[in-house]
Amino acid sequence: MSHARHRVGAWIGWAFFADLASALALTFGYMFSRSVTMQYPDKEKWLPYPRYRGHHFLTRDEKGEIKCVACELCARICPCDCIEVIPYEDEKGNRHPAKFEIDMARCLFCGLCEDACPADAIALGQQYEFSSFSSSDLVVGRDDLLGKPGKARTGGGVVAARLNTEQDVLVETSEPQGYNWWRNIRRT
Amino acid sequence: MELIVALGLIVLKVALLIAILLLLPLPLTWLERKIAGHIQQRMGPMRVGWHGLLQPVADGIKLLTKEDHIPDDADRFLFKLAPILALAPPFVVFVAIPFGETVSVLGTEITLYVSNMNVALLFVFAVIGIEVYGVIFGGWAANSKYAVLGSLRTCAQMISYEIPMGFAVIGVVMLAQSMSLLEIVRAQADVWNIVYQPVGFFVFFVAGLAEAQRIPFDLAEAEGDLGAGFHTEYSGIRFAFFMVSEYAIVFLVSVLTVILFFGGWNGVLVPLPPLLWLLLKVAFFVYLFIWFRFTFPRYRYDQLMAIGWKVLLPLSMANIIITGIVFS
Ligand code: SF4
Ligand code: SF4
Repeated sequence: MSHARHRVGAWIGWAFFADLASALALTFGYMFSRSVTMQYPDKEKWLPYPRYRGHHFLTRDEKGEIKCVACELCARICPCDCIEVIPYEDEKGNRHPAKFEIDMARCLFCGLCEDACPADAIALGQQYEFSSFSSSDLVVGRDDLLGKPGKARTGGGVVAARLNTEQDVLVETSEPQGYNWWRNIRRT
Repeated sequence: MELIVALGLIVLKVALLIAILLLLPLPLTWLERKIAGHIQQRMGPMRVGWHGLLQPVADGIKLLTKEDHIPDDADRFLFKLAPILALAPPFVVFVAIPFGETVSVLGTEITLYVSNMNVALLFVFAVIGIEVYGVIFGGWAANSKYAVLGSLRTCAQMISYEIPMGFAVIGVVMLAQSMSLLEIVRAQADVWNIVYQPVGFFVFFVAGLAEAQRIPFDLAEAEGDLGAGFHTEYSGIRFAFFMVSEYAIVFLVSVLTVILFFGGWNGVLVPLPPLLWLLLKVAFFVYLFIWFRFTFPRYRYDQLMAIGWKVLLPLSMANIIITGIVFS
């Protein structure tokens, strides 16, 4: 009985394009739902998670001395061969890099250099906006690397694109769990 | 003197029509991309102008300044002819399309149509059929596999929808006792044809989707499987010609649907200016085209032919017979 009614219903649905109509209704509903687009770089931008691997940076110790001891382990382990270290020895006999260059255009951001470093001198930070018009601009030297921002301290959120300093960003970030990418996506 | 005024009026109207049709793709591409974006929960163009309003202008400038490339092995004559062949017919057709009765400007009654042909409907179908040659020649001349496949599909699909389309409007002609589009609209002053001709409308609109080569029947372009179909090898201004042609046909099919089945500029309930009524209804159908495009998948071309020959054709014939019996 119900089987027969089901069949009749299916045929009526077929004759009046029930499936096409429900598809149209679905897309119409979607048209008025919120869009998930993040308007980078005009309005919003994304904050990386703490474990995000972005632009490298070199660190200094408490005395302000560069931590790197120019052991070249990072250059050895790098799968892309994109680190170039030339050491020098200062008056006290400590080794430091005279030249420390990373070719960002070749780096694959694997983080092996960070793992290999015995002095915790190099790490991959939060900065991800370093596109350029020429690949020679992407060869970054020692002093630039010392000035780059460190590890991300925020939990992957979205903030207004006008926020530039880390302090602003930390104040604005209110979602410690990170940005819920799926919160606007309808799942029915 | 009167002759000169009349001549001037015609020239003016034609110029206005051409200008409108050439500029039509600007708002339509913007709308299409916006609607596509929001259906897919994106935003569409946002960066050029307010909410991307100037995006079509930027795209237009881009198309005009891009290299107009002709492939080495192309049939150069046909390759250059095809975009014009695709562009001209939709423009010519609008000569026969009325947009209203008359408006009085400065005391003179000006008709809202270029010519009131008594076989306007026949003219429309005859001329719009030529547009398909633009598509076929374009795909053939480019000497590219994708393009040839696209135009091959067009050849196959052309016959299967144009015949039901022609049959579908016969019911309307029988009701109005005239082939003049003006008379057809006048005959719908009280009751719109959709009431008597729902089947005719259905067949006409489905065939119109195929005529405009829009999803679900955009087999000739089929971005998914043919690159860009028949205009794969076109670039720059010639590609723009095809785009303008496509949007002109979308507009044409919408206008025809409104004129034939939805009472043209006759309004219901709300007393708005007739021209506004017409434009509102046309806008609805243009929206329908775009909405369909981002909802439905594409039919295979044997499916399209099966729909054309096995569903639309018998339906339209039955429609003619029943209309004939009921209204004789
Ligand atoms: S992240 Fe990987 S590829 Fe990049 S410099 Fe370090 S080791 Fe080389
Ligand atoms: S960054 Fe670390 S691994 Fe690389 S040379 Fe300096 S101390 Fe050695």
